[in-house]
Amino acid sequence: MNKIKAAALAAAVSVLLSACEHSVPQEEDTDEIEPAPPFSALGEIKEGRKNVYVIIKNLESTYWQVVVDGAKDAAVDFDCNVYYSGSHSEIDWESQARLVDEALAADADAVIFAPNDSVQLADKVEKVYDSDAKIVLVDTAANTDSYDVCYMTDNLMAGQKAAAEMLRQLRANGNGNDSSLKVGIQVGSIASQTINERLAGFLQHWVRYAPEGWEVISDIKSNEGDIEKGYGLTRELMNDYPDLKGVFGCNNGSTVALSKVILDEHRTDIAVVGFDYSDEMAQLIKSDEYAASSLVQRQYYMSYTGIETALRLIDGENSDVKFVDTGIVVVNRDNLDYPEVKDILSHN
Amino acid sequence: MKKRYEVSEELNRSGSFVRVLLVYLLVCVIGVFVMISAINLLIKEHDKSLTTQICGLVAEKMNNSIKYMTTSAENMSALFSAEDHADLEELYEELRDTQGGGYISMGFVDENGRIYATETELGEFDKWDLMDTAELASPVSISAPYRSGLTGQPVFTLFSDMEYGGGKQGKLFLTYPLKEVQNIAYTEILDDESEIWLMDAESDNIIQCAGSNKYAIGSWANALLTFSNKIDPEDQEAYKNWKKSMENHIRSDAVVYHIGDVSYTQVYSEIDFMHGWNVVVRIPSSSMSSTMENFRTIVLVFTVMLLTATMVMFWISHKRDVEDKMILENLSIHDPLTGAMNRRAFDIAVKKHFEKSLKPDSSLLFIDIDYFKTVNDKYGHDAGDTVLTEFTALLKELFGENALIARYGGDEFLVFIKETSRSKTEYLLSELKRRVHEIRPAALDNDDMFKVSCSCGAAQYPDDSRDIEELKSYADAALYEVKESGRDGFKWYDGSLK
Repeated sequence: MNKIKAAALAAAVSVLLSACEHSVPQEEDTDEIEPAPPFSALGEIKEGRKNVYVIIKNLESTYWQVVVDGAKDAAVDFDCNVYYSGSHSEIDWESQARLVDEALAADADAVIFAPNDSVQLADKVEKVYDSDAKIVLVDTAANTDSYDVCYMTDNLMAGQKAAAEMLRQLRANGNGNDSSLKVGIQVGSIASQTINERLAGFLQHWVRYAPEGWEVISDIKSNEGDIEKGYGLTRELMNDYPDLKGVFGCNNGSTVALSKVILDEHRTDIAVVGFDYSDEMAQLIKSDEYAASSLVQRQYYMSYTGIETALRLIDGENSDVKFVDTGIVVVNRDNLDYPEVKDILSHN
Repeated sequence: MKKRYEVSEELNRSGSFVRVLLVYLLVCVIGVFVMISAINLLIKEHDKSLTTQICGLVAEKMNNSIKYMTTSAENMSALFSAEDHADLEELYEELRDTQGGGYISMGFVDENGRIYATETELGEFDKWDLMDTAELASPVSISAPYRSGLTGQPVFTLFSDMEYGGGKQGKLFLTYPLKEVQNIAYTEILDDESEIWLMDAESDNIIQCAGSNKYAIGSWANALLTFSNKIDPEDQEAYKNWKKSMENHIRSDAVVYHIGDVSYTQVYSEIDFMHGWNVVVRIPSSSMSSTMENFRTIVLVFTVMLLTATMVMFWISHKRDVEDKMILENLSIHDPLTGAMNRRAFDIAVKKHFEKSLKPDSSLLFIDIDYFKTVNDKYGHDAGDTVLTEFTALLKELFGENALIARYGGDEFLVFIKETSRSKTEYLLSELKRRVHEIRPAALDNDDMFKVSCSCGAAQYPDDSRDIEELKSYADAALYEVKESGRDGFKWYDGSLK
């Protein structure tokens, strides 16, 4: 009986104490990442020319290959030596830190830099700024004022333009201002600052300019970078909201997922607005049946103009701006033949 | 007799204490749970109240700072209005490069909507529809934050009404870095725990001013992704009401919600002149409640210790009580001199035996020590006590555990032998008769031939009777006959009651 009482008391105490427990966060494991390779020459290297070092985020990405293409063309057009390297993963900021040091050790005249971590790499950006070299940021800013100029997409504005294009496409698809309809949004990683800013811009424009009965579905779904999941979420959205008339993809993956399902289901009544010029999006835009638009970034010009500006700064010119929105180009069926659109698509 | 029997039963009810203890334990556990729930509720209220106060202070700091900016703009406007400048372009050229007051640039808008600003700023007026904000000035308005091309950092532009050219209505504008507001919003006290946002009620857009995620500070995001869609379903209604208050321009409101295991208190406060924008402060309960949680833990540990001590005290007290009761019980059952049962205990025990459904053959013996008065008179009471004690020991030895032995009177004993036959009893009685002679009163002279003897009357159950009182009277009658026939012997009841 004594044991039973002791057990009962112990149980009672443990139950009471458990009310005060706190959960302990789990640590995450990260896989081994291949270090960044040494700088490679991009095109011809000649004595006496300015040396520009380009550090990109991801050597494996086609997006970043376009950035490299811009740098390569700039080397020819502006008569300079260009070297490039980058990390194999966009979470590898340590490799980029090493590359910055290597560029400075090699007496770089300018560094064109897309930082993988705007906080961790801020001191490296400052280090270049404090040296004789010029520092031009591309695609992503760093958490410091100590840089010469930054060329990137203003994603808040990109989101606003996406909303404006969605409103246009919905009207073009026969939806009147007094009608009642819903627009769904799909995002990739909810932790992405780019996605958050695009979404903010979209909603900022929407609440201001959308007719009263045109409602954005507040239950915004994240595919977490998984296209297959994105397909399922798109079908779910279509089933749950019969009056769905528009879908907005905040990034390339979401746009591919939305476009693919719209094509598969042949839902010509749903307007699609997204980012980047994927095969699925191209198919929608080129078809006469669908209402679709894509917002394409100008990453080619980030590096191309970035190098041009860096060379001007080396020559002693001043830049009156710190931040340049390289902008986006809205691509739809109506403007596919425009020279500007053809030009931007040739670099994607 | 019946009442005494019940009292005696009470002595054996030790199980009742355990039940009482368990009930006590249960009541204590319920009590402690109620207490912890009450403390948790207090913590929740405390968090809400404290967070509301902190948010109020932060919002007040921000509003004071913005008010300082708006007052500066109003004073500048008043000064320019008083100077009644004929031409804003001239004034702009004069002032465009002046620095001070924390703003990064300034300019004017005339009554026709012409903007006097740098090329870059003109581009931003167009890009961010800043003229829409300018039109809201009454007498001041503030734009939503945007990224400045001049600095690359988030900024906002403040417009103030002014007069020029003899009564024409124009605007003065000043562009401030958002960092000015962020620095004001920042608080070291809860640096790692608190999150502070500017939030647009209409679009749910937010700009983080302070928080653990350094990457997000100064950037745009949306509340739907950042927190509102993650709130547990049971708290969604409370959050919606909170949001409704914000949309209805109620100055301030607080909400408590859960995201998974974490409980948050979130408060907003409206920002003056920044139409639709609010400062939102969110703090997880864990940070605010740490002191209260420590207090709760101390109270809990102290309470558990107190209850444990109380139960141990109860237990010790109970054990002592049981021991005391056992002593009392012993005293009430046994004859203090011989250790044999007393008369009352014997009667109860025999009655209990007779309550059983199966009652095997048994014998009841009435035994007297012969001439015991002589022992007392001749050898003293101590010798008499010795005889009684040794006689009882002999009875116990002979009849063993299977018998109830009682000192029924001064020298009179009753023995009830369970599960025995007449022959077994007779054998034991003959042993008694033989061995009782070995008992010697103390201090007996060598020439003193005094021998202790005893007389015994016996009755057999169920042969003689099935009633205990009858058996006793039959055994007593048999004893009487032994005494009449010269003592130092034993006799069975023979059917005649004398």
